[in-house]
Amino acid sequence: MKYADWPLSAPVNITWEITHECNLRCVHCLSASSKASPDELTFEECKGIVDQLAAIKVFEINFGGGEPLLKDYFLPLLRYIHTKGIVTCISTNGTALTHEAVALFTANPLVNVQVSLDGATPEVNDDIRGKGTYRKIISGIELLSGKNIPLSINTVVTSLNFTQLHQLKDLAKSYGANLRVSRFRPSGRARQSWETLKLNSLQLQELASWLSSDASILTGDSFFSISQDGRRKMGLDMCGACKMTCCIDPSGNVFPCAFLQDKPFCGGNLRETATPARGEPVEPHSREACPVPRYGGGNLGGGFKDIWDNAPSFQRLRNLEPTACRACPRFEKCRGGCPAVAYFVTRDLNTADPECLMQWSREVSTV
Amino acid sequence: MRGILAVPCRLAPDVQVRKESWGLLFYLQTRHKVCFVRSGDWLYPAHFDGTWTLENITDDIARRTGAPVEIIEYSLPKLAKHLTSSRMILDEVR
Repeated sequence: MKYADWPLSAPVNITWEITHECNLRCVHCLSASSKASPDELTFEECKGIVDQLAAIKVFEINFGGGEPLLKDYFLPLLRYIHTKGIVTCISTNGTALTHEAVALFTANPLVNVQVSLDGATPEVNDDIRGKGTYRKIISGIELLSGKNIPLSINTVVTSLNFTQLHQLKDLAKSYGANLRVSRFRPSGRARQSWETLKLNSLQLQELASWLSSDASILTGDSFFSISQDGRRKMGLDMCGACKMTCCIDPSGNVFPCAFLQDKPFCGGNLRETATPARGEPVEPHSREACPVPRYGGGNLGGGFKDIWDNAPSFQRLRNLEPTACRACPRFEKCRGGCPAVAYFVTRDLNTADPECLMQWSREVSTV
Repeated sequence: MRGILAVPCRLAPDVQVRKESWGLLFYLQTRHKVCFVRSGDWLYPAHFDGTWTLENITDDIARRTGAPVEIIEYSLPKLAKHLTSSRMILDEVR
């Protein structure tokens, strides 16, 4: 039995998409962020959820979105979370930083910041994140650099920026930051850009070799399914969804991970009802809302523990053993890879991660 | 053996810990690392608040679980050493 199979009473960390509002329109955005959803949680509701998470000793909350710094109560919420001793990681596009935010982040042992940058040059980055964004993002990085803030530059690896990874590492280093690379997955707006931006087998092989040879590159658990064994020893080596982590969306829906935000995977909602304020124009977000919550007793934030322990979709993910992978010699190592990629590519959780090490190894060998 | 067990232990300043059904889950916040310790019901987070020595903890385990002291005295220092070397606990009080 692998350590991550040991049932946890609560997640180690949670990804919390605090808003769908974003000032950028990145072509690979996992949550298809643009405008705020009409039913996003209020500050008081968020504090209630934080109380729940603190009570079950969640160690870390990773904020994303949307652009979290566009949420009007985001900084007060961070301060509230820090009173509970919970570590926070803020994933930002770097274009909405204020002096107040930087001051809150500075020398704060409970803060880590990731700035998203998808190319080492304006041409490449701006193709993905939008025209003129490179300069704005670099300005944001300069605001954060040298201020005793654990800082990383996060790059979603695509066919466009693949050849710039070394440059991105150097660029990060020049700002005293680490390079963190994330896997491009076909969720959100990336469903439309998947075929053009995904890596081919040779690129996946090269990426896996590079990651194996350079321990300074951070990956989270992004690349566990393609990583060679040397790299796998460095961290989580299997999908942590519903085992180590889960995701809360801006409306309080709880999903296995940020990349599996689709109706069948919704574990429940942290508020009793999710309706827009009266009189406000409702412009549906590109993602459909979850069905009426099945968990929780109607108390704000009261249902998290119940969702984590009992939601059928979570239990299904924990026990997932894709049929296509059971005979694979590496099954015990990766357990089928990333279910989100398998699901969004094939709509079938019983298929293998199409970018797994075995898959691209076969393709490379036939080339 | 009792001399070794007289060492007080305390959670390192950047570490948090919580009880799980199978033992303790340590979290090193500066490196975002977790450490799984399959200690069952022997250990609790309170044992690392700086007021407990290994000797106290041994007695506590024996009292609560009925485990033989010699087995606890054999296992606990090894575990404490592992946790100390992995920077999860400090073996001295500042």
